[in-house]
Amino acid sequence: MRDAFSNTLVRLALADPKVLLLTGDHGYALFDEFRKRCPNQYINAGIAEQNMVGMAAGLARVGFRPFVYGLAAFIPIRTVEQIKLDIAHDALPVVLLGDGAGFVYSHLGTSHQSTEDIACTRAIPGLQVLSPADRFEMTACMEYAFATNGPVYLRMGKSDRGDVHANPIDPLQPGRLLKVRAGRADRPCLIASGSMVRTALDIAQEQDLFVWSAPVLKPLAVDDVCAAVRESTGLVTLEEHSVLGGLGAAIAEITSEHEPTRMLRIGVPDRFSEHCGTHAYLLHEHRLDTDSVQKRIKSFSDVLASAVRTAIPL
Amino acid sequence: MNTLATSTASANTDSRFVPARLRRTVLEMAYAGSTVHIGCAFSIIELVSVLYRNHLRYPGNDPRADGRDYLVLSKGHGVMAQYACMHELGWLNDSHIKNYFADGSELKGLSDSRISGLEVTSGSLGHGFSVGVGIAMGLQRKGGEQKVYAIVGDGELNEGPIWEGALVAAHHRMDNLMLIVDKNGFQAMGTTDEVLALGDLSAKFNSFGFETLEVDGHDESSVDAAIRQLWDTGAGKPKALIARTVKGKGVPFMESDNRWHYTRLNAQTFAEAVDALGLSGAAK
Repeated sequence: MRDAFSNTLVRLALADPKVLLLTGDHGYALFDEFRKRCPNQYINAGIAEQNMVGMAAGLARVGFRPFVYGLAAFIPIRTVEQIKLDIAHDALPVVLLGDGAGFVYSHLGTSHQSTEDIACTRAIPGLQVLSPADRFEMTACMEYAFATNGPVYLRMGKSDRGDVHANPIDPLQPGRLLKVRAGRADRPCLIASGSMVRTALDIAQEQDLFVWSAPVLKPLAVDDVCAAVRESTGLVTLEEHSVLGGLGAAIAEITSEHEPTRMLRIGVPDRFSEHCGTHAYLLHEHRLDTDSVQKRIKSFSDVLASAVRTAIPL
Repeated sequence: MNTLATSTASANTDSRFVPARLRRTVLEMAYAGSTVHIGCAFSIIELVSVLYRNHLRYPGNDPRADGRDYLVLSKGHGVMAQYACMHELGWLNDSHIKNYFADGSELKGLSDSRISGLEVTSGSLGHGFSVGVGIAMGLQRKGGEQKVYAIVGDGELNEGPIWEGALVAAHHRMDNLMLIVDKNGFQAMGTTDEVLALGDLSAKFNSFGFETLEVDGHDESSVDAAIRQLWDTGAGKPKALIARTVKGKGVPFMESDNRWHYTRLNAQTFAEAVDALGLSGAAK
């Protein structure tokens, strides 16, 4: 997935000398190829993210196509105001790359973890939000972000969970959900993004559920979400992000207005991580590990099947 | 520290941008819109007057011309001074002035980049300078002679990104960038010394690697000469012009009185302020 990112970025930069990569002194090893192939398009802006995002706006104003890279804890979170005011307000073609989103930096603690970035960026007018699940979606997201020619936040999360698509995917369309797996219509379907698509797929294979991936989180196609509702008994959303303001919230905004259904939003509860450990350990702490999620989906399915509108166990 | 002690030859051949008339336009806008921030605009009147008259190049008088120089008003609170110049250039008409702040009107109380002639959305401080650094970096990469001027308030220097941008500008040898500090000595809640002392600004910018001059920001000839001198010296270095100014300059009862950061004009103070400008009939 990280190779797909690097390869696509290098390809875009070689094809268009206006492409610039700005990094806030991050990306060790990740940008080796870029620095070798496109040394004049690489700018290490120093550990100064706020200025870097403002600079990217200035570069875009005079015709350049900046990709701005940082950890998601900094790009976008530290620089939300610069993104809003300097970039999004004028719809400037800047691609913001937030790496290590979710709990990738599980051992480093809260400063490097990011579970609020989708919520923050979704609310900025005109800013599109992408969250690829595998290498194929990463390539498509990078190409989509560049072709959009406007402000985009691309969330890069846990990248070593394997493919969810069998082959390269078609160019992304704004807001379209990608069908990853067909399943039974008399059960809930799963809509996931980023690293949790893999989890959704693993569980769906056991329970024969539909799985949709949402690489484009904003905008979201109302028709696709409504269609997913109609082909199922309820919706489960999965994301390595807060349950507040992310994929689950975005889907709920649509269903509540257009196609009401029961939903189970699986994501990070409204709290910080307490402990240190592996990525898998932190997923477990937040009940996002496959076993925990599987049980919650099973009990949600049972509630739906019983047709009794009882409270859904959390 | 280099201080320009004497005024040099004036290039004042353009009858536009007369400071008293710019101030009159600011007063008309402020009175029409019942706005604040008059003092913030008055301290930079001579700076924008000299820049627009003698330095900023807009091919075809087009505020969006590709080959233009860039004036980035990072201290967006002074935007009425820039509006007054844009009025002189014909980019704004009398209706813009008379209907300032009217419902549905375009011009806002702080710099907004969607207005042709304004380059950044600022007023949230510490933004415009970084955007200006990016513009300067872009122009530097393209080659050519275009220049970037960024007017920053001294209070605005409290903001961290200014100093991030200063490091980057020097590191990348942006000698097409001039930071102009409107050193009026005040910020919203008091003097800069009371709120967060800035120390020796010339020494600070020199140490950051800027070519620096300090000047009386209300002496047009000195400002003009200092700008020329900065461009002519310190190859490879960004420029810093520390302009000593007076908040509210031009109307004695507003000068160095921070209430004119916030106070709105009434019929009487408007008339008194206009009188104080001493415009002759012709200049009006």
